Amino acid sequence: MPAPRWSQKITNALIPAAVLALWEVLGSAGFLPRYLSTPTAILTALWELAVTGELFAALAESLYRVAAGFVLGAASGILVGLAAGMMPRVRHFFDPLVSFLYSVPKIAFLPVFLLLFGLGHASKIAIIAFSGFFPVFIASRHAVLSVNRLLIWAAQNMGAPRSTIFFRVLIPAAAPQLFAGIRIGLAHAFVVLFAAELIGSKAGLGTIISYGEEWVRFDLMFAGIVCFAVLGFAADRILLAIRSRVLKGQIIGTEEQVAR
Amino acid sequence: MIAQARNLIGRWYSIPLLLVMWQAAVASGLVQSRLLPGVGAVWDVLVNETANGALLYHAGVTVSRALTGFSLAAIIGIPFAAAMARSILVRNLFEPIFFVGYPVPKIALFPVFTYIFGIGTPSKIAFTFLECLYPIVVTCYFGFSGVPTRLVWSAQNCGASRSTILRRVIMPAALPSIFSGLRIALPVAIIVVVLTEMIGDSIGLGYYITIWSTRFSFANVYAAIIVIGLCGLALDQAMLLLRHRLVYWEREEIG
Repeated sequence: MPAPRWSQKITNALIPAAVLALWEVLGSAGFLPRYLSTPTAILTALWELAVTGELFAALAESLYRVAAGFVLGAASGILVGLAAGMMPRVRHFFDPLVSFLYSVPKIAFLPVFLLLFGLGHASKIAIIAFSGFFPVFIASRHAVLSVNRLLIWAAQNMGAPRSTIFFRVLIPAAAPQLFAGIRIGLAHAFVVLFAAELIGSKAGLGTIISYGEEWVRFDLMFAGIVCFAVLGFAADRILLAIRSRVLKGQIIGTEEQVAR
Repeated sequence: MIAQARNLIGRWYSIPLLLVMWQAAVASGLVQSRLLPGVGAVWDVLVNETANGALLYHAGVTVSRALTGFSLAAIIGIPFAAAMARSILVRNLFEPIFFVGYPVPKIALFPVFTYIFGIGTPSKIAFTFLECLYPIVVTCYFGFSGVPTRLVWSAQNCGASRSTILRRVIMPAALPSIFSGLRIALPVAIIVVVLTEMIGDSIGLGYYITIWSTRFSFANVYAAIIVIGLCGLALDQAMLLLRHRLVYWEREEIG
């Protein structure tokens, strides 16, 4: 689509810009309820938080939790999922458990985790890891099972040892689906992070949001919300960038490359 | 017969095994039984609370909220995705909202929703609607835009009207992806409702979990978790059944 790019970009930006402008105008004219604040007030609040350094402390706290929990959950999900895909015994052990637990919101276990691990970092990291595990596990399991058997047979036929088959055939063939699972796991991680910070403790970006609510500083509340949204969005984009680097050979010539 | 039974045991042994390990751990005093009540205690609570209707009531609240938000998202999202796939103007207007907004954790907006819609059912439904809308629109959009153009052309060639093409060509071709979008969104609906009920409400299974965990009665918490799991499982199976009936030309295994 090399057609008029800039006119397309203008149409793309039309609705967000209109919403922001309307919000600003109506908000500063006092037509909107106070809890909606205004975009400029939110920016000022962000600046205020950044100057005092509160923002970065909160960001670091939240980021540490989500990163640690996500890495733990995704790593264990990949390991167990790959094992389940390759070994029927492992698969038969985990399948019933996962198919039941998958539909349970993992945040329902938060009270248990809070008692087990306390109010600090550990309980958040554990619950984030726990909820990130499931989508990654399911994707890895399916990925291994859907690898074309011919590829593995061909490698075996040429006398490749098991480790070579694993690292050079199985993993590359499963990688696209692995990334799909990891991406869902990342999204879950942020949802759980938010809920855990709001329900379980007052630290990180959750503090800024609930502080804003309690002290009727809605600009602060929105500043926290904006930070949270940007954090989640940036994490997803970083993951996609890693993905397109790792899968460089596999997306050439597909629609995805054309779209980018 | 015996082989079948062996197969069944081989596939499902892990749940009873885990229950036995759980019971053994509790009975031996290895873990505090306050945190992890025995299997029997959870079962008693499950039976009692179902018999007196408490769990059924809260489950009814949660499921009806989830289904309302989900159905609204489906009713609005599917035609919207079709419009985005068919019209360049609509696509250019809304593409950034859905594709840039997709990875943004929308849960952060929930406090704002409670201010706008109040703390009860409307804010839960509105938020569920928002969370379900994204997967439905994005998946259905790919489904609608992936309809092979030659199918549309040949229908036009045979003199089919626009509405016939929509009804008999585009809809059936996009139906599998519509269902995969719906199947992604359905568990999201339940998760979101329970989550928001945990953050603040006075009815629903999420509330039930919070209130009983503050009373340190974890048997009730586990019973509620089991009920949520069963609801999710039942809804997913119902969705699969619906897909099995409607998409009869491309059936997937149920189970």
